[in-house]
Amino acid sequence: MFGRLLKLVLAVTLLGAVYMAVTMTVGGDRRMLLIGQTTHAHHQLEMACETCHGSSIFADAEVAEKTLNKNCRKCHENELKAAKDSHSRKRFRNPRMAEYWDRLDARRCTTCHIEHRPEITRASAVTVAMDYCVACHSKGEQDIRTTRASHAGLGFETCATAGCHNFHDNRALFEDFLLGHAGQPEPARPVVHGLAARYRARPVSTDKALKPGDAIAPSAALAVPNVLEHWADSGHARAGVNCTGCHATDLAEDAPKTQALAHWIDVPPMNVCMACHKPQAKTFVMGRHGMRQHPGIAKPRNAQRSLARLGLSQVMPVSMSRWLSDPAVPAWMTVGEARLPMRADADPALAIDCGSCHGEHALDTTRAEVEACASCHDDLHTRSYFDSPHHMLWKLERAGEAPPGSGVSCASCHMSKLEHRGQVRTTHNQNDNLRPNEKMIRSVCLDCHSLGFSLDALADPGLIRKNFTGKPGVHVQSIDWAIARSRSNPDAPEN
Amino acid sequence: MKRIAVMVGFLWSVGVAMTTAGSSEGVPYAKVTDMLYQVMSANREIYTRVVVQRLTVDEEVLIASEHFEDDAGLPLPSQMFRFVAEEVLDNTEDFSYSLLSLHPINKKNGPATDLERQGLEHVADNPGENFYGEEELGGERYFSAVYPDYAVVEACVQCHNNHKDSPRRDLSVDDVMGGVVIRIPMD
Repeated sequence: MFGRLLKLVLAVTLLGAVYMAVTMTVGGDRRMLLIGQTTHAHHQLEMACETCHGSSIFADAEVAEKTLNKNCRKCHENELKAAKDSHSRKRFRNPRMAEYWDRLDARRCTTCHIEHRPEITRASAVTVAMDYCVACHSKGEQDIRTTRASHAGLGFETCATAGCHNFHDNRALFEDFLLGHAGQPEPARPVVHGLAARYRARPVSTDKALKPGDAIAPSAALAVPNVLEHWADSGHARAGVNCTGCHATDLAEDAPKTQALAHWIDVPPMNVCMACHKPQAKTFVMGRHGMRQHPGIAKPRNAQRSLARLGLSQVMPVSMSRWLSDPAVPAWMTVGEARLPMRADADPALAIDCGSCHGEHALDTTRAEVEACASCHDDLHTRSYFDSPHHMLWKLERAGEAPPGSGVSCASCHMSKLEHRGQVRTTHNQNDNLRPNEKMIRSVCLDCHSLGFSLDALADPGLIRKNFTGKPGVHVQSIDWAIARSRSNPDAPEN
Repeated sequence: MKRIAVMVGFLWSVGVAMTTAGSSEGVPYAKVTDMLYQVMSANREIYTRVVVQRLTVDEEVLIASEHFEDDAGLPLPSQMFRFVAEEVLDNTEDFSYSLLSLHPINKKNGPATDLERQGLEHVADNPGENFYGEEELGGERYFSAVYPDYAVVEACVQCHNNHKDSPRRDLSVDDVMGGVVIRIPMD
């Protein structure tokens, strides 16, 4: 009996070892091999291990880590450049910084951000203790406690947690910026955000505008309830984009209507949207909603090629290599896969693509700015929005009782407006100004609020949960300290 | 940005050519760093004179500012120098260089190694002389050279003497303000 049990255990162990060896070297789903839960951004691509782990599985640890860090930069480098990274890798690559490499090696992302370690992962995927500044700013001329009187009694765990500093992004937190905005009162309401005003007041019709009777589509498609009305009232119809513009993209512009049916596609793929809305698509795939389309995501391994590399292509039947294929990263994130709280009545199978927020035919940007978000997201911050001053301003603007650009929607803060070569565009990358939340100050908050209020409000988690209904319950002293230091130095020039 | 890329490309190609020659054909390290310094120094002077001086003083169409993006102005010559130095570090480990001072406005630009301090003191105390030495950093041996950095125009002096974080406010034109440190790994 014991002998049979032992054989069974050995057989199962052997099978498990073979499975692991095959999935690691040839192909197959490797998610059961994950050493720990991935963070709540990377979990969307955890079936594509090579996105991060690009080196050979037999590479030594140093090579593997270098490759890992190189792949971090592949996706995050532009974001860090935009943030004017205060601790950039290139600065720390200088050998004169060697002393710091042993304290906190800023040349490697993995010094502070280790994946698959949920038990030690903090906000912004930081996996070191939050007093990490102590490593370099507690000694010699870098000892901030002796060089800044205001910092004498502060704990290092507060540097990056009190609304004063960030490791990478300090665009709204450096001293001259604080001094430049010191003493500013809160602007009188309503405040009009210029870019939003231009966007919302953009022309509603053009000379190319189409009417319902102009629609070119199969009669069955036109018979679908609301479709024709939604299209005729949309930006597409106003801009002269007929049904065939999306449903028959390979139809020549001057082709007769009768040919439309032959080229008709009932459900156009998303790249049809992306072909025209390139700037929006580019930022969409960088954000949480569309990151599964990010060009940096590794393609599935080719099992046949892996077998050939191992000299097994002749002994392994083709059907076997198909069975060993890697699971492809799904095209889109679904509501059911979200780690953030979602509404119980939101369809878990709903894929987050352009249509899920804008609607396939209505293309309603107003809905996309608020209702679309709230139809899925179900956290306190989202729910509180509808009782907030921001929403009140939004309602007034929608009712025509306040000027365009004075309302504040979800998108106003999380998908803000940008200007590029005179055109106003909406970034679809929420990460641009999401975390740390001070990233939002320049691009969003200062449009309507003073810097002092913004710093205080963003440092108050309770106020954020209430969607800024009320006054900040905390005060960030950065501006006060900057003023005091400026006044204590009579030789300093006025700012 | 294009200008930075051109400067980086030029510096990088000169650096690679020189260090290759230095290691395989016996060109002394000091000769290599001297040549690198000539390129850096010429680039800096041209940027200062042809770009900054012309646009900010002669034609008065722009300002040069520490916060040049917020102020829609030009980067200061010292900032441009450091941007290019960091860009080089992003592309190669064959050499590195820094603009440092015993009296830096930003503390991170003060001496970080014994050789840097020794070299900066030497070029400050011995006008016209360079400093050469070897040091071990992060387990690697480096040839390090320090070249004096002078206050070439009044604008350098004014900025440093008036900056709120400047620890030294008695600089005059032609004073040694700091030094350029160039390093080449010897292994």
